[in-house]
Formats: sequence, C-alpha cells, structure tokens
Amino acid sequence: MFELDQGISDQLTEVSLNSAVQVRCGNSNSFMVTASTMIPLLQMFEMSGVYISASRGAAEVIQGFEAIGVDVSHIQFIDLVSSGILGGTTVPYSNVHFVDSPIMLESVLLRTLYILKTTDHERNFIFLDSVNSLAIYNEDRMLAEYLHTFINTFRQQEVLTVILNVPDQTPPLVLSNLDLYCTDLIDRGQVVIH
Amino acid sequence: MQPAGQYSRDRCITGVHGLDEILRGGIPYGSTVLASGTCGSGKTTLGMEFLVRGADAGEACAHFTATEPSVKLLENIRQFQFFDVKMVDSGLINVFDMDVLYSWLGLEKSSFDLDDVHSLIKAIVDIVNTIGVTRLVIDSVTTLCYKIKSEQLIRDFLFTLGKKLATLGCTTILIAEITSATENAHWSSFGVEEAIADGIIVLGDVERMGHLLRFLQVVKMRGTPHSRAKHAIELTPLGVMLTPMLKWGAVSDKQNRWGA
Repeated sequence: MFELDQGISDQLTEVSLNSAVQVRCGNSNSFMVTASTMIPLLQMFEMSGVYISASRGAAEVIQGFEAIGVDVSHIQFIDLVSSGILGGTTVPYSNVHFVDSPIMLESVLLRTLYILKTTDHERNFIFLDSVNSLAIYNEDRMLAEYLHTFINTFRQQEVLTVILNVPDQTPPLVLSNLDLYCTDLIDRGQVVIH
Repeated sequence: MQPAGQYSRDRCITGVHGLDEILRGGIPYGSTVLASGTCGSGKTTLGMEFLVRGADAGEACAHFTATEPSVKLLENIRQFQFFDVKMVDSGLINVFDMDVLYSWLGLEKSSFDLDDVHSLIKAIVDIVNTIGVTRLVIDSVTTLCYKIKSEQLIRDFLFTLGKKLATLGCTTILIAEITSATENAHWSSFGVEEAIADGIIVLGDVERMGHLLRFLQVVKMRGTPHSRAKHAIELTPLGVMLTPMLKWGAVSDKQNRWGA
C-alpha cells in the first residue's frame, strides 16, 4: 500500500503563493515525496499547475499518478525528456507539451509562462522535477543563474514554485544558490532504510 | 509624473509580450524600424503580431508581402490564436501582394530606375494615406530592394519612404533577411537599410549544444532608452514571448557562426 508523507502536507500549509519551496529527496523515495507534495496541492489546496518533467517522460509521470488514483487533468506537463527519444513525443495525453531538450532553459520558462497565460485558474503552482536532472545537461553557473531567474519570475507572479532536488546529485554551486533563493525547505533527502 | 525638463515621445505599443518592456514603453510613433533576421527566426510572425495588436486597438494596418503570396501568408498565420481572419475581412488589416502592386504600376521588370522607385513610393504612400494606416509592415524590404540595383537608389528609396510615412504618423517595420545574426554580420543585406532606420531589431538563432534557440535583440531605437541585451523568444499560439537570455548560456558569436 502506498503511504503518503503527512508531514509534507503539514509543511505546505505554512507556505504562501509567492513562496519557493525546495523539496529534497533521495533516489529511493522520490516518487513518494513527489506524490506527497502534489496530492495536497491538488486536493487540499485545490490548485492547478505546471509540472516540468526533466527526470522522466511526462507519460510515465502521469501513469504513476494515475496508478495511485490521482487526477492530473488540472496539470499541464512540460516534458524535457521525450523529444530526445525518437517517437517519444507520441503520447495519448493532451496536457503534455514538449521542449526539445533540457538545455533549452529559456524555452522552458517561456512555455511555462505561456501555460499560465492560458489558464483561468487563480491559484497555480510550478513543480520542477528536478534540479539534479537539469544538472546533467547544464553547466553549473548557467543552472544557478536560471534558478535565480525562474524562482524570482514566479514569486513575482504569485505562483507557488516547488523544486524537487536530490542534493547529493546536484553540484555544490547550484545547491548553495538553491538554498539561498528558496523561501522554504522540505527535507526528505535522508532516506532511512529499515 | 516626469521630472521637469524630461521629454518622452509618444509610443506605438507593439503589444508583443516583453518587447514593450525592452523598449521602455514601445516604438516611438512614426519610426521606421528594421527587423532583420535569419530564416525561421520569427520576423514575419513578429510583424504580423505587431499589426494584429494594432488592429485590436482599432488601428488601420497594412502588410505588403513580397516574399510569399498573401494567401499563403494568411494561411500560415491562422495557426496563431492571436490572429483573427475577421480583422482582414473588416479591413483593419490590409494585405497587399507586391507582385500585384508592381503589375498595377506597370513595374513588371527585373530592375527599377529612379522613376520606378518614385512611383512605387507614391503608390505605398497613397495606400497608407487613403486607408489611414498607422502601422505598416513591408515583408521584406530585402526582396523589394533586389530590384533596385544601386546602393544610392536603395538609400533614397528607404529614406524617402520612411520620411513620408513618418509624416503621415505611420509606424513602420521593414523586415530584412540576413544570413547571419552573429558578430561582424551586417544588420541588412545591402548595408544601407540600417543607416536610414530609426530602429534596428535583430532576430536570429543561438546554438547551444546542437539546439537552436531563437533570440531577439534591440540594437538601436532612436527616441527611447532601451535594453540592448539578447532575449530568448518563443513563437507561441498567443504570439511572440520574450525572456532575457541566460548570460552564462550565450556562447560566443564566434562559436555560434553557421558552418564554423
């Protein structure tokens, strides 16, 4: 049985729309942490949003959520992975947008802004999955600069920014900047194996 | 309120997401702006959106197309949500084929002389005057100028056209095709268009690890302070959208040159 981390939804009650929340997880608990963050945003806070998928294809993320009974119809997905796979962009979901590559960071920002312009929902979030995946492709200084722009852009627009990160796979420069720019931290990076 | 002694010109608000912020309010009214870009960089979309935003505000707009037939232009632009074909039907956006104009004027020839150039200017100005056009796009001035063989004649043509359109209060975008938007590149094909223009907007591509990112840069705009930074652009269904390009992501232009 899939068990959610109740502590995450408790912490989310403390944040406001112009917050930037860093959510740290490990390799083995990333989906549980993601779901424990997304479910309260969708169901408890009744938000809609944009899910930027840099670690896995959006279709796989959607199927993961559907498997645990989460309705993702209020989420628009920006998939940075599938264009790198020939035929990967053929998916049966209308709420998936594709960006050619995780190195096209400005395009990701503009696509997100475009989606926000087209939504009539007032309470929105951006979920970035994940900084460590972006770090595979992008140079440290560029990624740190991007996160600075990214977080400030959405904070200014009163859009809740949630940034997933596996800290031991993220370059120190990016990690320290992320700590600096984010207003809140949900730390599930230390995974205890029973 | 402005501090005493400060003067600012009225602006033609482009309505393009981000561009008016770069221009600190828009293009000064009556300016002739050269929009130079490589193929596929978004010049035509930018020009068309400039007209659509004007038509949205009830302005009469005109588009002279020399690079593709008007039917094809409208068919391509219909995919964008910002465009509504009713604007053409209602006469707010007027699209003219240059080939048809040449035919009307008896200018179906390979090169134009001084008299031909003057009759072309008169025809364009008459159309602008008759319809009361306040926003004009010529796409492209490069194609048009291929028929004018001397640099001096091209300069005269553009200078006279720009001056007459400005007198009529018309803000004009002249679209120019260039093969490279990198350093040392000219911002126009003939090297004279940039000298007479009040403003220059360059559109091109930056290559990053094998991917092309579109960019826009305002190089010059008389009568307004403006950003000269490179901005990344996306052509979305809602129109052109801009954001500052990452400083650490802009590879040097030397690395960036085609074929280098």
